[in-house]
Parts: sequence; C-alpha cells; structure tokens
Amino acid sequence: MSTKIITPVAEFAELLPQEYKDLVARGPHGGRRSVRDLGTFKEIVDEHPHCAGCGVALAVRLLAAALPSPADTLIVGTPGCSFFSLVQTALNYSNTAFGNQNAVAAGLKRMLAIRFPQVHKDVVVVAGDGGIADIGLDMTLHSWFRREKITTVMLDNEVYANTGGQESGMSRLGRVLNMAPRGKLFPKIPVFELAKVSGCVYGARVTVAGPYRLGRVVRNAVLLARELGPTYVQVYAPCPTNMKFPPDQTLKAAKEAEKDHYSFEEFMSTEAAEYLARLKTAPEEREEAPEPAKP
Amino acid sequence: MYVTVRVEVEKCSGCKLCIVSCPDPNVLAFIPEAKHVVVNEHRCKGCGLCATVCPEEALTVSGN
Ligand SMILES: Cc1ncc(C[n+]2csc(CCOP(=O)(O)OP(=O)(O)O)c2C)c(N)n1
Ligand code: SF4
Ligand code: SF4
Ligand SMILES: [Mg+2]
Repeated sequence: MSTKIITPVAEFAELLPQEYKDLVARGPHGGRRSVRDLGTFKEIVDEHPHCAGCGVALAVRLLAAALPSPADTLIVGTPGCSFFSLVQTALNYSNTAFGNQNAVAAGLKRMLAIRFPQVHKDVVVVAGDGGIADIGLDMTLHSWFRREKITTVMLDNEVYANTGGQESGMSRLGRVLNMAPRGKLFPKIPVFELAKVSGCVYGARVTVAGPYRLGRVVRNAVLLARELGPTYVQVYAPCPTNMKFPPDQTLKAAKEAEKDHYSFEEFMSTEAAEYLARLKTAPEEREEAPEPAKP
Repeated sequence: MYVTVRVEVEKCSGCKLCIVSCPDPNVLAFIPEAKHVVVNEHRCKGCGLCATVCPEEALTVSGN
C-alpha cells in the first residue's frame, strides 16, 4: 500500500490526531500485511463503538487486515452494526441505502475499471445478514447473475442487531429474539448455496473463531474477483448483545457453530482453483499459522 | 476503561492468539524484542475474549 493518499501536506502534519500520525508512520504500508501481522503495525481500523466482545467488529478488523491492496480498495456497506467500524477505517468506504450495496458496488466497479484501466480497484461489499439476505437479496443475486467482478462479504450474526433484535432471513429456525417473541418460523435462507448456482466463482463459509482462515478466504475472494468474477464470503459473527451471552463467549459460540451449521466450506470454479494454485507457489504467500485451539 | 485486561508478561509465550481474537483494533500489541504482548488499557473494553484463547493463562480481566 502506498502512503501517497494518506500523507498529509506539511501545513496539516502537526494538526492531525495522533492516530492519523501513527497511521502514516507505522500503518500497513510498504509491504504486504496480513492477519498474522496484527499487533505489529497501526491498523487501518480505529477505535469504534461496537459492544464489547462483538463478533462483527472482530470480523471487520480481520477483513481489513487481509485486504490485498487496501489503498486501492473500496468498501461498500449498508446500514447495520458493521458500519460502526467501517466508518472508522482508513479505507475508501461508501454506505448505501439499505439493501442497495451490490447494485452500487457493481456500478462503482465498472466505473473504476474505466477510470483506472491500469490499476486493480477492488470493490468489496461488507454488510449484515439482514442487508444481504433480506432487503438486498435481489440486488445481490443479480450482481452474481451478471458476473460482476466484486466480492460480497456477509457478516452473519443471525439477527438485525443494529435495530434491536428483529429476525432476519438468516436467523435460525425457532430462534426467539427481542422482537421475534414467537421464534423464527422458517429456516435460514441458503445464501451460500445460492452463491454456488448464481455465478460466484469462489465462495467460503467461515467463522470469526478461525482468524487466519478468515483472512485467507477474504484474500482469495478479493483476488479472484479481480480476475474472474463474483465471489462470496459468509462469516459467522456472533452478537453477544442480542443473543444474550456474556461478551467473552463470542468465540466459543463461533466454535460451537463450526461443529454445527457453520462448518468450513469452500467452493470454486476450475479457473479459480488454477489461479489459487498458481498463487500458492508465489513467494509472498506465506504458510498459515495454526488457529487458536481454545475455547 | 473501567475494566481492562492485564498481561502477566512472564507467562506470555508471544503466540499472538489474543491479538487475532480481540474485536478492538490497536489494543493488544506484540513487542518483538521482548517476545510478549502488551495491552493499551485505554482502548480495551474488557470483553475477555483474549483471555479465553490464551493457552498460557497470561491474561486476566479486572476492574481498576
Ligand atoms: C430502507 C431501510 N429500512 C430499514 C432500515 C433500518 N435498519 C437499519 S440497520 C437494519 C438491520 C440490519 O441488520 P443486519 O443487516 O443483519 O446487520 P446487523 O446490524 O445485524 O449487523 C435495519 C432494518 C434502514 N436503515 N433503511
Ligand atoms: S449489537 Fe451485536 S452486532 Fe451490534 S455492535 Fe453490539 S454486539 Fe456487535
Ligand atoms: S478484553 Fe476484549 S477488548 Fe480487551 S484486549 Fe482482550 S479481547 Fe481486546
Ligand atoms: Mg445481522
């Protein structure tokens, strides 16, 4: 990542907050950073107002660290808890009217490809389960049908967290929520399965309990969207506030889900598999670290 | 923050699992020379997730 776009003019250099100065001095620039390097550089996400122990916040933090070219990435979001941290990133970020994220992202991707033909501009949708599976489902599916070269990341907490706990299409069957007292009456919408048959060249289903894997699949998805077509990552990001468990249980909840309905799954087209095989032999692609064993 | 995590640096092996388990950015940092992590107590929300993944039990959440 080049520091060019964030380096302040001399007149402003001293006026900027310490966080900004840190970003310029020891941000994720000049050399590839990944989830593995977290804790050794100033992150592009800054302090945010997510609840303590928020799975969505953890997912955003890991995703931001995994982006292959953060300076040339445009994140497209929509209302939902994820915007608490997305607005706190030193990334190009645009919000959209609720549910419009994939339509807006597709348009921006096409425009950027015309405006910057020599540079890869990665357009990545990051939105909640309600934003993607409910009101935005038609625009999500149509962007896949049209083979738009964008990545879609669903941060699935199985609830409308931001508005106090309504059921989403991704809530589990029978789930009782603050504003779903009778329990969800139908099962989770199979968005991951829809991605497979709707044109995505790559898809992965992960949880926040596997940070290195999350980083790897996000990177795969962004690189493949550049070259081949739409990609999809579905992340289980539990919400302690709405699911009413203590904030130190988020990773335990994610680990349990991995043994149940959130087992790791990945699919890819033949071309995508060939591309990733070539990538693996590239020297800058280092070995993955082992995942945390506990809780 | 009223509640924050504390690191017992003698116990920390420097595995960095806590760093990739914290939902909040720039809170836990790794000191390569000393090979252990440190916490920015002003940024920690005290959720305790880092402590649940630490294999060395080097992290505890406490009020102050
Ligand atoms: C058109 C429109 N309808 C409704 C809302 C209110 N609204 C804001 S966030 C949200 C739900 C978000 O749920 P989800 O996408 O699952 O994200 P989460 O907050 O759970 O991360 C709703 C209904 C809105 N902002 N715009
Ligand atoms: S309500 Fe849930 S998803 Fe939203 S910030 Fe709080 S913990 Fe995160
Ligand atoms: S207690 Fe929570 S916020 Fe504090 S360092 Fe640990 S994981 Fe991060
Ligand atoms: Mg949600």
